[in-house]
Amino acid sequence: MWDLILNPFVTILAWLYAALNQDIVLAIVVLTVIIRFLTYPLLAKQQESSRRMQQLQPQLKKLQEKYKNDKEKMSQAQMKLYRENKVNPVGGCFPMLIQFPILIGLYQAIFFALAATPFQLVDLSERLLIPGLDSLIPLQRMWTPIPQLASILPELDLTLAPTENPHYSLILPLLVLITTWAQQKLTMMTTKQKSDKDDDDEDEKPRGGQAQMMQSMTTIMPIMFGFFSMTFSVGLSVYFVTSNLIGIVQYSPQGRNVLDKLFRSKKTDEAPVEIELDDDVPAKKPRKRRKKKPRKR
Amino acid sequence: MPKLNCARTGLVTLLILALFLASGCVGARMGVSWPSVGLITVNGEENITLAYNNDVAVLNPANGAPLRLINPISGQAMLDSENNPRSWILHGSNNEGAQFYSLPVVVDDETMLVAANNGRLLILDSVLLEATQSITLADKVVANTLEADGILYLPYQNGGLSARSMVDYREIWRFHTEEGIWATPLLAGEMLIVTSIDHHLYALDRSSGQRIWSVDLGGSVASTPLLANNRLYVGSFNKSFFEISLDGEILNRYDTQNWVWGTPAIDERGVVYVADLSGFVHALDTERNLSEIWSSQVAERGIRAGPIVHLDRVIVASRDGRVYWLDRRDGVLINSREIDNRPELLGDMLFLAPSETLNIDVPLLIVASVDEGRLLIAFEVDGRQAWVYPR
Repeated sequence: MWDLILNPFVTILAWLYAALNQDIVLAIVVLTVIIRFLTYPLLAKQQESSRRMQQLQPQLKKLQEKYKNDKEKMSQAQMKLYRENKVNPVGGCFPMLIQFPILIGLYQAIFFALAATPFQLVDLSERLLIPGLDSLIPLQRMWTPIPQLASILPELDLTLAPTENPHYSLILPLLVLITTWAQQKLTMMTTKQKSDKDDDDEDEKPRGGQAQMMQSMTTIMPIMFGFFSMTFSVGLSVYFVTSNLIGIVQYSPQGRNVLDKLFRSKKTDEAPVEIELDDDVPAKKPRKRRKKKPRKR
Repeated sequence: MPKLNCARTGLVTLLILALFLASGCVGARMGVSWPSVGLITVNGEENITLAYNNDVAVLNPANGAPLRLINPISGQAMLDSENNPRSWILHGSNNEGAQFYSLPVVVDDETMLVAANNGRLLILDSVLLEATQSITLADKVVANTLEADGILYLPYQNGGLSARSMVDYREIWRFHTEEGIWATPLLAGEMLIVTSIDHHLYALDRSSGQRIWSVDLGGSVASTPLLANNRLYVGSFNKSFFEISLDGEILNRYDTQNWVWGTPAIDERGVVYVADLSGFVHALDTERNLSEIWSSQVAERGIRAGPIVHLDRVIVASRDGRVYWLDRRDGVLINSREIDNRPELLGDMLFLAPSETLNIDVPLLIVASVDEGRLLIAFEVDGRQAWVYPR
């Protein structure tokens, strides 16, 4: 099942490698850009859903206060609010969940394509879907970042971890850490800006649990990915850095504007519909019991 | 709260992603290679030897049990610090964390050599089973070495082959290749035939390491060629199988369904049997320019190891965890056996004919899996399981 996602990625990566003058780093960069570009509508949808939810926060808070002693009524009122504003409370999750297998597939494709051991190569034998790509195996694994400075910056083995490569490759985990942090920070700033803009009379910081989670993600994720980059092959660090840089562009206001125009993402600028708090939310109607008809004998 | 749930879902998904990334995930393997299995003479008797990951072991062919270390003076079993009998298992953890995919080579009654995947050549006291010396090699070794006339030929995982004296272990010569050598070199008279992941088949002067000729096979080559009737037979990763003369000319070519990794087998009629990584087995007539006699998909997954011909059968082991016995005349399936849990059968098979030095009465087929619970499985010719060696 997983192969349905993975094998096309491996094949496209090998095809790009052939098309781009057998430069594997360029192939990784181009494939990452293509995938991030194609998955942008999902990201935009997720952001839009998140924005709409932010707009409803003041009303949700009021509902929580009003029905703090009646969870059933609060839930019904929330559902009414979502319905009247045409917001799906979990709508932002689905695009995110769809994106993950794609990004993991891309990561895995790079892992398989940079096969350097018998185990890795035997696994690659079942993944190339286009005839003729087999003759490219093994893909290039030695790479010089700046060929003109080859004497100072010796070749890197893309299949090995930075610790097994020349010392200057340790800059890659650092780059992964910085770009992951920058991307996370930008995501958080975007949420905060929206919150401030949409919600002048309310508290200025992103709220409660969600804010805490985002804070910890901004700290944990860069460290985690920086650590992975220390132990994983240099080729994967190239992917992480590229992916993060694209993420930074996607989350920056200018980048978002360009991409929104390109993909014509729908943005709802309407103010959220308020529901009457005084109105009692209609409770569930009790089911009428059908009268049993007497059996005819 | 739905929004909080969404954020939680996101965080959980991220953590799962992190776990996937950390584990190398979704079917990807972090190991280097599969078990290597062969024969070795210890205490005057032939035994099975196995090299895989952290261990090198010597096993009794009759029951698959590790040999006991015997004190040559007293004739008694040697004991460890807890008074248990010591088994013939060399642990990489006691030897600079070495990993082994290359079988040991006997130098004399008391000395063995084993090339490790950490770029070291261990010189072993085979009586005490201890490394007495460790020599730094040019690179890691992932294939079996070749010993001939007191010279050890070492193929390197990332490229090159070196010849070392088995007397003083100095390097005599080194030959450079662009990519790794993942197959044991083959001796053909005064020529050393070497295949490489760099797509080439090389013929070297065995005494000087000078290239005599080389031929580009259009794809990586990871198997030792078969030498028969003064011709070389070898497959490559560009889905082709070749017949090559001993002066480097490609005489005939046959297109397979997928990469060919294993060494082919040949019978007395000159029919060569080739397996590929799509699970196909092909029978080709070497007397008729590799014309196809039959070709059939035998297994659900690829066949990495080379076939074995025994009597009227061709035997193959697949990545689908099964061993297949085929009629060599027409490729019809005669018998198949599924290994418990269906582990991938990637290592080369070993066929043992009954002999006094091996101490077995019936022929045995030894199959190597990547499942630590059943690393080696011995079958009798009718498919009955004789024994299993777990790590």
